[in-house]
Amino acid sequence: MKARLAAALLALAVTAGCGAPESPTSVTVTPVDAMPGGAQEVTTAPTAATADCDREASLRPGPQPAPGAMPPGSTMANIVARGRLVVGVDQSTNLFGSRNPATGQLEGFDVDLARELARSIFGDPNRVDLRVVTAAQRETALQEGQVDLVVRTYSITCDRKKKVAFSTPYYVAKQRILATKDSGIRTAADLSGKRVCAVKGTTSLATLYTLNPRPTLYGVGQWTDCLVMVQQGQVDAISTDDVVLSGLLAQDRNNLELVGASIGDEPYGVGVKLENEDLVRFVNGALAQMREDGTWERLYQANLQQVAPSPGPPIARYQD
Amino acid sequence: MTTTPVLHTTPDARASAGWLRRFARTTPGVIGLVAVVVAASCVIAGVVVGGQLDSRIATADRVLDHSEPFAYSAQKLYAALSAADAAAATEYLSGGLETAPMRARYQQALADAAEALSDATLGAGDAQTRTALAQISAELAAYTGQVESARANNRQGFAVGAAYFREASSSMQTSMLPSAERVYTGALAAVDEDQRTVATLPWAGLVLLAIVLVLVVVGSSVLVGRTNRQFNRGLVATAVVVALVIGWIVVANGFAAHSVELSRRDGTQRFEELADARVLAQKARTEETLQLISRGDITAGEKSFGDRVEELTGLLHDDPVASDLVAAWTASHRRQVELYQGGDYPGALAQAIGPDPGGSAARFAAVETKLNDAIEQTRTTLRDDVAAAGTRLSFSPTGTLVLMVIAAAAAVAGLWPRLKEFL
Repeated sequence: MKARLAAALLALAVTAGCGAPESPTSVTVTPVDAMPGGAQEVTTAPTAATADCDREASLRPGPQPAPGAMPPGSTMANIVARGRLVVGVDQSTNLFGSRNPATGQLEGFDVDLARELARSIFGDPNRVDLRVVTAAQRETALQEGQVDLVVRTYSITCDRKKKVAFSTPYYVAKQRILATKDSGIRTAADLSGKRVCAVKGTTSLATLYTLNPRPTLYGVGQWTDCLVMVQQGQVDAISTDDVVLSGLLAQDRNNLELVGASIGDEPYGVGVKLENEDLVRFVNGALAQMREDGTWERLYQANLQQVAPSPGPPIARYQD
Repeated sequence: MTTTPVLHTTPDARASAGWLRRFARTTPGVIGLVAVVVAASCVIAGVVVGGQLDSRIATADRVLDHSEPFAYSAQKLYAALSAADAAAATEYLSGGLETAPMRARYQQALADAAEALSDATLGAGDAQTRTALAQISAELAAYTGQVESARANNRQGFAVGAAYFREASSSMQTSMLPSAERVYTGALAAVDEDQRTVATLPWAGLVLLAIVLVLVVVGSSVLVGRTNRQFNRGLVATAVVVALVIGWIVVANGFAAHSVELSRRDGTQRFEELADARVLAQKARTEETLQLISRGDITAGEKSFGDRVEELTGLLHDDPVASDLVAAWTASHRRQVELYQGGDYPGALAQAIGPDPGGSAARFAAVETKLNDAIEQTRTTLRDDVAAAGTRLSFSPTGTLVLMVIAAAAAVAGLWPRLKEFL
């Protein structure tokens, strides 16, 4: 009896702690579905474009000073003294402002226009310092004086006109939809229930938000980020100005198509700090010259001919 | 089975227990009891002390075989990932078509990361760390895919290439590098904990040894009372041997603690400082490159570059060679910023990534090489000191056990003649 008990205890003592070894816990990892940095779903209303002003009317130009001979004390004279015109542009919107990966240079309609404005001030299109600003940085860059001008597919809106001044429009874009060919999206109404990408802080996003029923919206930093999301299957469509979309379309022609009628007109203007009225008038004068002497047409042919035949420069309207 | 009461003792057993009790009160009984108790406590104390010392040596070995290599590979993983991103950024900045050296640097960084991942996975004990490493593996695969997408698009002149690169870099900076940093920090904390374990005194064993001494003293005084003789030589020998063992443990442990202290000061702490310095240098380099990629307002980027370099300089304050290298790099960076703010973008670009030996790329590479060498050297110091700590203790488990058996034998041998007088 005792011996058996002792044997049992001994057996227990010997085997304790060395039963069948536990199988090591195997780790689990969720699939990686990376999105462009800063991409997020938009669930709160972006500041909507309100139409309580004549958005296209700008300050009337005075007598246009000759290059290099700016009136003393003017904003332009300060720029001449500095030696370079600092312009905020885009680096990722094909046709308007993008960095050519082969040369590293910025190019596009906006960039060419910035150079022409430098020519108007200095007589030399190369006296320009191009700074990249994101769509959301445009107002602050002007207000804080980081740049003299913003030439960056900058839609003129009444809300923005309270913070910055705009030139007369130099281009009127139409908001349309770039969708994958198999998405079944043909019109704006088809966007319901789909995932749509736009850049944060743009009028395009505000317009999309007002659609009823509202699609699932993703806001990103740059338009090419939207193309990345389309190619990664994270959104079904991109909606913004036709020229921006054709720039994106050119990078993936086989799989994407530009569809739908215009959701809204987007006049592009040159952004100027609100206080610098003299500079606004100067830019308007320079734009008026470009419309007349064929420079505008030349820039259009060089950059936008592939989108559509030239509609001619937009008509300038002045509010004095 | 019958229900026999377990505690019921037979009259026989009761009688023998009674005899033992009576015998223990007799002088030969007392002598025998003292001999048995002292000898047994010597053996028990010897086994406990030996076991404790053995576990300290095992911990030192674990540092050498396990926790230190793991911390090293975790550190290497972080550096390799960061280097891959810096190489990809340079490639992107250079304008689409990467040169052979740039591609080689990127590929080398990926190979380093793969090595480090494999080594680190081997060393990762807990599931949480292995999950973090698996996540990094998965993200690294996605990362390289994005970099290749960027390249393919760049080759066709598509601006979306830049967006793919930004996406890749963003996942690297916001997800992979922070997880790698957490793994590395945890690994280094484990090394430090193991090192401290090696240096702690085997308290339980020491207390038992002290009890043995007390038993010897008590036993001796009882025997002096009973037998009217001087101190028993055997018990005196036992006490001397036990004192010797205590002295050995304290001295060996003191040496080991000193080696551990050195390994922590010149090893772990320095290693951590240098690894931090390397991380800071790489972050500053990425910052410097990103300033040119984002090509916008660089005020925030400059502040963060400045903060990182300042912290880096602080960590390297007692290394004049490394400090000079950092200063040379910062000078080149200032030149780059001057060019950028003067509107000379191509000049700034050349200063940042160009092949000029005075440019930021070469200067940064010099800092990186110096820090890397210092890390390797510190690693050797750390390992040597931990190995030394283990060596200080190396014979102590067997030695103390043998000595304690001798102490037990001395007690028995010393008391046997006394006991024999009564038989």
